[in-house]
Amino acid sequence: MSAVSDLEAQLRAQGVIPADAPAASEQTTDRPWFVALLQGVAGWLAGIFLLVFAGMTLKLESGVALFLLGAPLLAAAWFMYHADRHAVFLDQFALAMSIAGQIALTASVNMHHGTGLSIAATALIVQLIVLSVMPNKAARTLAALFAAIAWIYTARFLLLPASADDLVFGEGGHALAYRGWMIPVHWLLTWIPLLALAHWLIRQESRWTASKLRVFARPMLTGLLLALPLGGLEATAINPLGFAVQPVAMPLTWWALFPLLNVALCMYAAYAAFLIRSNWLSGSAVLGAMLHLSTFYYLYGTTLMWKSLIMASAGVALLIAGVALEHRKPGSGGTT
Amino acid sequence: MQPKLKRSELDGLAEFHSLDTRKVEILLQLADARPSRSDGLRFLANCLRIGGVLSLAAGLVFFVAANWSEIAVFGRFALVELVLVACAAMAVVKPPPAFVGRGALFLAFIATGALLALFGQTYQTGADVYELFLTWALLGLPLVVAAQWGVATAAWVMVLNVALLLYCGWHPTGGMLWAIFGSTRHPAQIILGAAWLNLALWFAFEFRRVSAVPDWVRRLMLSCAFVFGTWGGGLAITDIDFDLGRRTDPPALLALAAAMLAVGVYAMRRRTDVYPLAVVTGTFIIVSLVWLGTKLTFHDEGIFLLMALWLIGTSTAAGRILTVLARRWRAEVQA
Repeated sequence: MSAVSDLEAQLRAQGVIPADAPAASEQTTDRPWFVALLQGVAGWLAGIFLLVFAGMTLKLESGVALFLLGAPLLAAAWFMYHADRHAVFLDQFALAMSIAGQIALTASVNMHHGTGLSIAATALIVQLIVLSVMPNKAARTLAALFAAIAWIYTARFLLLPASADDLVFGEGGHALAYRGWMIPVHWLLTWIPLLALAHWLIRQESRWTASKLRVFARPMLTGLLLALPLGGLEATAINPLGFAVQPVAMPLTWWALFPLLNVALCMYAAYAAFLIRSNWLSGSAVLGAMLHLSTFYYLYGTTLMWKSLIMASAGVALLIAGVALEHRKPGSGGTT
Repeated sequence: MQPKLKRSELDGLAEFHSLDTRKVEILLQLADARPSRSDGLRFLANCLRIGGVLSLAAGLVFFVAANWSEIAVFGRFALVELVLVACAAMAVVKPPPAFVGRGALFLAFIATGALLALFGQTYQTGADVYELFLTWALLGLPLVVAAQWGVATAAWVMVLNVALLLYCGWHPTGGMLWAIFGSTRHPAQIILGAAWLNLALWFAFEFRRVSAVPDWVRRLMLSCAFVFGTWGGGLAITDIDFDLGRRTDPPALLALAAAMLAVGVYAMRRRTDVYPLAVVTGTFIIVSLVWLGTKLTFHDEGIFLLMALWLIGTSTAAGRILTVLARRWRAEVQA
């Protein structure tokens, strides 16, 4: 007996479903996470190639032209997803077209006068539209993830207005404008809405699973639990990675240690993933924690000696808390 | 415990049987989809303890990197060595698999690397950075073996791969590895050598399963192998040498093909996990995309359409095959 049949038998025995209820089809469209990742990355890259091809062929030089390309691409993606709901054949093509359409639409609005804030806000709106209308779980999950990242950028540029170039290549001297009080405000503004939404979705899981909202809520939860640990690596102004180089002249202040709280975000994401029994989301949270710790190493604003003391103190505190929790329950064992 | 059914399958059941909120609660309980309070506490306790050990290790590394001038050379060495001795003593008193022993041996492994870094930093030995990591991996191996812990094994795998990455990436002309492989002028072959080293480890622990090398660590080894494999394959196809201009490298491509074939055949025979096949497929898609790019000139905009279509086609086929295999093998395991 398969796991689905086994569970249905238990549901019948408990009177949750009628004894003569038909058996559910065991056909599922679900893929292992690494297959979804492979297809997502490939679709995203293909979307960029498609857009470059269209841009070079059609000589798109105005925002209107980009809009006239992006909107039909998104519409075509919707039709493909809609026509092919129970198979995967057209899904990849639809994903690539959808990505190309999203980038084209965002670029069309910000082509000549875009600021960091306007680009991030447009991307957020486009992603929310895609999340709402695309009839495909993978497309909605990607949209939820990108929407959360767009929100992180939006919050960043709300407090620190900057040019479009700073979206990827760092805030340059703009972080110098960071006053102490802005750092906690920025962190809270960025993360509290995302944390609250993730927490609410987990608490209300049985409620939305029982309604049609599940088609939106499940991708939103997955996207959020990916964005919490990984979204802040590049997008927040005071937690640089890659191109976003922290300015050397940032004053020495204990506020510079604030990004270490992002490790706490990762721990929350790992626990939330555990609550919904998702090992791969827990793994991504652990990866995020490691990456945040390595960015903390390179963070200017305080000395390595202070960082060393902070990490050692945190280590002792965590160990004490862990051992105390361990002693609260019977039957504890080692981990492998 | 990982439940038998995924959330998407439970969503499907709830939709199919039109379950209300109360019935979904029962469904989630029956499917063991919600951890109990004691499960949650156990998870949190493990997270906090592992986080604590990792934080202490980071504190030690940061301390050595700080190069605190107010402590004399003797004092700096004494501090790190004291940590090492204290960890060893703790591991003797509470040996693995007790968490104290595992954590202590993990910290001892990190302290070994910190001590080597301090040695290089203090005496300016002139050694390449890859030598530091390689020596660390070699000297730390007994500690990792003694720890019998997946986290420690994963850390060792990462240290080894950082050494290999530094060696392959910087193409240094000195040090231990250079003495052995210095005669070859084909960087892709060296990179494929790094891939095969990881692959050898993966095969070894596939055939001889030990609890200190759990599934996720074996996947880490395999991923590292094919990161190097993809890199080497791309280099071999684009014919780019570090310092000798362009030259073809069929042996490197053969080594990559052999690696892909070996992993593919093994996974198909074992019929338990499609992850190895997914990694092989990912490498194939990237390397073939690179090959496609070399066949067309950049002045031809059609290259981008062709590359997009190739990506869509290969990833669709890969996704379809891998998903079908995953379902089939899962059903076989359940049966």
